[in-house]
Amino acid sequence: MSEIQNQEALQAAPSVNDDVLLRVEHLCQYFKVNKAVDDVSFDIKKGEVFGLVGESGCGKTTTGRSIIKLYDITDGNIYFRGKRIAAGIRTYREKIKQAREEMKNADPARKEELRQVILQQREEIRAAKRDHFAKENRCVTEIQMIFQDPIASLDPRMTVYEIIAEGLKIRGERDKSIIDEKVFRVLERVGLVREHAGRYPHEFSGGQRQRIGVARAVVMEPEIIIADEPVSALDVSIQAQVINLLNELRNDLGLTILFIAHDLSVVKYFSDRIGVMYYGKMVELATSDELFAHPLHPYTRALLSAIPLPDPNYEKNRVRVKYNPLSDHDYSVDKPSFREVAPGHFVMCNDAEFDKYIREMQQEQ
Amino acid sequence: MMEMKVEKKLQVRNLRVSFRTNGGKVQAVRNISFDLHKGETLAIVGESGSGKSVTSKAILGILAGNSIVEGGEILYDGMDLLKISEEDFYRLRGDKVAMIFQDPLSSLNPIMRIGKQLTEAMLLKGKARQRTARENFKEKLALLEKRMIQYAPENTAKIKQQCETFRKFAERYAQNELAYNTATESLQDAVSGLNQQRFLMEKAAFKEMGDLVEALDFAKASVSPFVVEGEDATRLQALCTTILAGAKEARKSGDYSACVAEIDELLAILNKAGEATKPAFFSRAYFDLYADKGENRPSGDMEAQNAFYNDYMARAYMDEFEEDITRMIVQSDAEYKQRRENVVAELAKAYDALNAGTVPEFKPQLDALCKLVEDSVDPMDIIKDSAACTFTGTMKSFVAQYETGVKTNARKQAKYEREVRQAEARAAKGKDYKVAMPTTIDLDLVKENMLAAIRRLHDHYIARNEAEATEVKRYKTDTITDYLMDNAYSMVSKVTKTAARMKALKLMDEVGIPEPRKRYKQYPFEFSGGMRQRIVIAIALAANPDILICDEPTTALDVTIQAQILELIQDLKRRRNLSVIFITHDLGVVANMADRIAVMYAGKIVEYGTSEEVFYEPAHPYTWALLSSMPDLDSKEKLDAIPGTPPDMRYPPVGDAFAERNAYAMKIDFERQPPQFPITETHWAATWLLHPDAPKVEPPEAVTNRIAKMKERMEAAENE
Repeated sequence: MSEIQNQEALQAAPSVNDDVLLRVEHLCQYFKVNKAVDDVSFDIKKGEVFGLVGESGCGKTTTGRSIIKLYDITDGNIYFRGKRIAAGIRTYREKIKQAREEMKNADPARKEELRQVILQQREEIRAAKRDHFAKENRCVTEIQMIFQDPIASLDPRMTVYEIIAEGLKIRGERDKSIIDEKVFRVLERVGLVREHAGRYPHEFSGGQRQRIGVARAVVMEPEIIIADEPVSALDVSIQAQVINLLNELRNDLGLTILFIAHDLSVVKYFSDRIGVMYYGKMVELATSDELFAHPLHPYTRALLSAIPLPDPNYEKNRVRVKYNPLSDHDYSVDKPSFREVAPGHFVMCNDAEFDKYIREMQQEQ
Repeated sequence: MMEMKVEKKLQVRNLRVSFRTNGGKVQAVRNISFDLHKGETLAIVGESGSGKSVTSKAILGILAGNSIVEGGEILYDGMDLLKISEEDFYRLRGDKVAMIFQDPLSSLNPIMRIGKQLTEAMLLKGKARQRTARENFKEKLALLEKRMIQYAPENTAKIKQQCETFRKFAERYAQNELAYNTATESLQDAVSGLNQQRFLMEKAAFKEMGDLVEALDFAKASVSPFVVEGEDATRLQALCTTILAGAKEARKSGDYSACVAEIDELLAILNKAGEATKPAFFSRAYFDLYADKGENRPSGDMEAQNAFYNDYMARAYMDEFEEDITRMIVQSDAEYKQRRENVVAELAKAYDALNAGTVPEFKPQLDALCKLVEDSVDPMDIIKDSAACTFTGTMKSFVAQYETGVKTNARKQAKYEREVRQAEARAAKGKDYKVAMPTTIDLDLVKENMLAAIRRLHDHYIARNEAEATEVKRYKTDTITDYLMDNAYSMVSKVTKTAARMKALKLMDEVGIPEPRKRYKQYPFEFSGGMRQRIVIAIALAANPDILICDEPTTALDVTIQAQILELIQDLKRRRNLSVIFITHDLGVVANMADRIAVMYAGKIVEYGTSEEVFYEPAHPYTWALLSSMPDLDSKEKLDAIPGTPPDMRYPPVGDAFAERNAYAMKIDFERQPPQFPITETHWAATWLLHPDAPKVEPPEAVTNRIAKMKERMEAAENE
């Protein structure tokens, strides 16, 4: 039965454009009362680099981790190549709860209706829980992650070879010669040499360790890489090396990258589109040039005005815009939602702000 | 270039620091020199491992146990921080030089409340201050007595009598003043407490009856030492009762306007009491001590009282005592000046002797010299002449170093040569094998340092004698009495927990932590990263330092918080006129903060100049590389990453350390270390490219583009 149900659930998925590789819909990730990610939606197209920025604690890392199912998401759906790979059940549960409340004092005809609703919702929950698509099609191995801290994310007791080959072995690769070939090839690809395979992580410098982290992700030949602050723990000169490496990999292998960082100049340099997050919500989403040229949301403006540049005269006159959500918005009557102000440029706003932003855009043009 | 007179707060000269490790000696800092001026920010920029943190730790005297300071000096206030004892360092560290560390999480104690961490040092220092003040007071007074008797032996009995009365008087005065100051402070607290209640009532957020009762009681208690008379006194009592009753009613109705008006009235009474004329403590203490017990004290308003006491003191003050002190000072000044002149002559002789001879030959002469120097230091000095005081210790440590060198150098050299031979043998077999440099002590350098120390004291004494000829004395009569009075005050004043708490709350407010009263009781984990860094800054500022060392204070923070913390440091620097050493690897951060920049690579400063010079006219290839490897907001071209990694400092390269990673390296870069080529008066770079014979090289395109863009932006800003 579950097989059929599953198929139906999958067919019920919204028709997804071919070039959208990963779609995140209304993603919510709550840790008890803490709403780490609250109703975030975005698409990542094939071959693009999507940047996520925001201050620490705004939920950008949680978003990345939810996508590779390190957490069970609370609500929302995540589709990979148009197939659902993760789903939250909170809405269904709430609907059941509501129906039960209503059932207490409803007339018999309505009761029957409600019973059907509850059954339906239960089916949905079952379907969400049994979404084996990801597992069966091994599409989890097509999403790989690069972690922030190159020291903490490598097992100190495994050699570089073991670290890189581990994923291949788990995927079921048994042939030693194939593993060898892949590992050595990827090592050379990321700018290390064959001899490094037998060494342990502590023998490498920070930049080299991050290269190992990249190699571990790339060896699985993933469709999409989630890079969680891959350069923020590195020195400036080494940062440039790793960014260049990621750029090369992206061009050569046609990788899609979800790039999470708080350093805006790096994100601007590297990303095609950027999403700005603030306290679990996405407040603005646009192509990177558009975002830097016409930032609309006050938080984005505050963030952009805080970027330090290596230019003393500019720095001495730089005025930092401050963002205070309570005084900058009046959401007491009209609740905000995520709307498209210009083609491809989304902002979290309510009606009044929406009009204001559109006027601003027109004025600038 | 405009000539500006700047006060040098800190001077680092030829500092060299190494670390002993299993693999050999790592040369972390190789011969660097820089000055820190008063009220400026000096940024030290470089990759990790370039020795920037080691430099700052050497300044604070917190180098790791396996470090060897091989040479150089760090001069602060006439002292060489590399040579002074740990006890002297206790007085400096935190008090004069404070540090903000990189990771706010690991520099706070996770199991101590924030308040305790903030006040811990204050309480400890307070206790220590009380103790030293007591010692200072006793010691200086005894010395004064001794000195006066020495110059006027015929008046022994009278002098002893005078000193004894002075002691009593100083203590009484200090107690009076302390009592008044405490009362004023607690009155201020009472006013702020009431204001808070009033604020809550206005916002209709008033909830806790207990808080109001407490605030009112405190107000009543703190106003009691002040003279509140007539109508005000009765009105005060009445107000307290009506406010309480009113608040109870208002809590039900929600209308606090009556209460607020009453609190305003109460505040007016408190303020009036606080603004009353300050009692004249000095003369009052004098009266308390000397007047006949039967003599009538005046009552009435404070001004009349003050007039009475002042009048009494004018009639009976011990002018004679002060005159005696002045006479004594004139005599002792002349004597010590003579002694110093003798020492100057001796020092000049010693310099020549050491210069011509060797250290062991000089050793017997040294003891006599040290004795002379010690005798030339006047113990009455209020401001310690630390250059002279530390002379003996410095010399002894040099001699000890020299002797160790003589003992061990030959052995180490022999071992090194043996290893080199072995390495050569292996190299012949085609194996790559490196040998670490031996940890020998450079005897010539020790001698040079000794000569420098002698020369320094020599110059210092000459300068001092010249200055004193034009009436700049180390002490005068009133500086001595003031010093004694101050110490008497710190002797009786105790840093209580409440006082420390008030100070901590003020500091927390200053660094921008909202609701300090609530935050005071929390643990570090309850703070966000930025707030934690603010706490670390508050702790660093608690002792009111001169120099603040920031070791990558924002690397662990994200952009907005980073901007806030940088603004805070800038603001504090301006307000307190701090000198800041700012260590970072991020050039973007530096542009905003720094007045001058030192770029470090592999333990050396490779470029040094004002911030405009380094950013707009960089000269060293390493600075170019740093600038071009930063992603730019305007372009998407490939970044010019610096290839390779920094050199292994166990085997420091013979030539320019950056040569291996440098696209512009010439043959000479691998063979000889470049000297410092001056570009302007304030700007130099250590690269062979600046040599007149070197080929003309343009900086990489990324850098020139960037600078052109900056200039455009600057012109655009000017045109607007």
